[in-house]
Amino acid sequence: MHKGKLRTLIAAFAMASGGLLLAPGSAQAVPSFARQTGFACEACHTVFPELTPFGRRFKLNAYTIDNLPQVSGMTPSKEKTLALNQLPPLSLMLQFSYTRTAKAQPDDAIAGADAKNGQVLVPQQASLFYAGKIAPDFGGFVQITYDGVDNGFVWDNTDVRYAQSVNDKLLWGISFNNNPTVQDPYNSTPAWQSPFDQTSSVLPGDGPGAATLLDGSQFDMSTAGLSVYAYFNNSVYAELGAYHGAPNGFGKLDSAVDVPVIDGLAPYWRLAYERQWGRKSWEVGAYGMEAKVFPADGTIALSGATDKYSDWAIDSQYQYIGDQNLLTLTGTYIDEKQTLDATFGMGGSANASNTLKTFRLNASYYYQRKYGAALGYFSTTGSADSGLYAQGDPVSGFANDKPDSKGWIAELDWVPYENTKFALQYTMYNKFNGGDTNYDGLGRDAKDNNTLYLLSWINF
Amino acid sequence: MKKIIAFAAGALLASGTGVALAQSQQDAKTLATDVCSACHGPEGHSISPVFPRLAGQQRGYLIVQLDAFRNHTRADPNAQAYMWGMASQLSDATIKEVANYYASQKPPHGTAGDPALMAEGKKIYTQGIKAQNVQACETCHGPNAEGAGAFPRLAGQHVDYLIAQLQGFQSGTRSNAPIMQNVVRTMTPGQLKAAATYAASK
Repeated sequence: MHKGKLRTLIAAFAMASGGLLLAPGSAQAVPSFARQTGFACEACHTVFPELTPFGRRFKLNAYTIDNLPQVSGMTPSKEKTLALNQLPPLSLMLQFSYTRTAKAQPDDAIAGADAKNGQVLVPQQASLFYAGKIAPDFGGFVQITYDGVDNGFVWDNTDVRYAQSVNDKLLWGISFNNNPTVQDPYNSTPAWQSPFDQTSSVLPGDGPGAATLLDGSQFDMSTAGLSVYAYFNNSVYAELGAYHGAPNGFGKLDSAVDVPVIDGLAPYWRLAYERQWGRKSWEVGAYGMEAKVFPADGTIALSGATDKYSDWAIDSQYQYIGDQNLLTLTGTYIDEKQTLDATFGMGGSANASNTLKTFRLNASYYYQRKYGAALGYFSTTGSADSGLYAQGDPVSGFANDKPDSKGWIAELDWVPYENTKFALQYTMYNKFNGGDTNYDGLGRDAKDNNTLYLLSWINF
Repeated sequence: MKKIIAFAAGALLASGTGVALAQSQQDAKTLATDVCSACHGPEGHSISPVFPRLAGQQRGYLIVQLDAFRNHTRADPNAQAYMWGMASQLSDATIKEVANYYASQKPPHGTAGDPALMAEGKKIYTQGIKAQNVQACETCHGPNAEGAGAFPRLAGQHVDYLIAQLQGFQSGTRSNAPIMQNVVRTMTPGQLKAAATYAASK
């Protein structure tokens, strides 16, 4: 295998589609739930998609709280066998966006030429959701997305749950989902991180080139996970589960597969403590995952050596939800140890093992859930590896053999209706792919990737 | 023979009613445990002042309010956001049983607030404000703010919740209580806060 190509593909894996600035995020706030429950959005969301304490409870309760007329079924012994909404809780989401970088990106084919700067995407993303109760104690959040960049439909976030209340303090449940942390009730973990859950899908170099396994949907929804959880007294949340590789679009898993594939089962765990008092809540927690992964890129066999990722993370979330003023602070730190038996064996990395760390701290404020401002700091740092993080590729190359990217992100929001958001976001890189000036070796500076992003986001 | 038939019919009727009643009691308990408690807390002891404490609330008041949510005559912002949906499918029988459930829970204890506010609030609560034609709260809500029938218990309630309701009566967003709308008409924000602080402390 050609080393350069492998390196690029591993870097592509590392960025996959997750991460702070990598993914065009997904939407959790769906009018389906409002249709089913009769609740306004504000019952479950501060401002979508961030969840309120009640929203967390609704999610953990398997999305089953329902106030619609039902089609019912029952056995002679009065066991409920069906409780189907007479109208399906469906909804649509539309996102239109504009992205402009500080300096235009080079044309991929014509040397010396630049791509046009300032990209309008209509839509950036359009999704159809079924979100709500499926049967008694059984509900789901299922998203199918048209992606404006890939110009095609993809199977997006899926979280299907069964939950039971033991009494008014304890509930337990099972979640079947396709993306680690998509099932999490807090907005400090990567899948539903708030407030910067949405970023441009056309970031330069597709965003910083390295991200920890847990930091977003590394596997591009190509996993199947099952976890068991319990939630006690609105304060203790514990979850234990495992993920299996499940790439879409392949009849058999051979060298044609071009997304990373988990080998065997990858355990996932989560523990969080939350205190609620008055209008405030504060959560501190930890989560982690261990995965053996074939760095599949369309050329390697899915057998033999794997790369091992061992992630542990801590997170915290504070919310004040007043009638006029709302404040949210979120943060997470992820520490990853990589043992690259497969990649190193193929000559794709210089080291047999590496470390990578993610840190993120965000603050957001809303006035009357209508006018918002948010600020965040992000950082990914790790050990130097001349194989994984090398110069040479325009925009997506690395300086100093390092994966490091750091910077600030700020956003202004206007939410004229509870289901419509306009966001103006600016991302500023102090460091991008290991360097601040000429990081790709072709004259591009980190600040050239600073990105202005305008988003209109409508759910109905 | 007639007697036997009458007896059998009576027994059947009685047992039928019994089943229906047991069923709705069970439903109400399940509803309170699985659904209401998400906001109103275990046994009606809520944490957030957005959601009122229901433990020990007057049965009559709960029935009137649930019915008002169901037919949209109580229309303050949080009523619309949460309770219109929640109450939409409730039957009269379930409403009564849910009300019974919360009325029979142990009521919360009030805590004293700022002494100056408490002193002003006590005056308003027990004597009213004659110059502004405001009646004493205790006339309807009782000397210990325990309420009676359709008049709610205020003792142990979230102060912020009570203030929000008084403001709702004043602005007209909560217009399902003509007596209260009339009472608060001339009250200042400071007087509302004092009265709420005192009533909640009982």
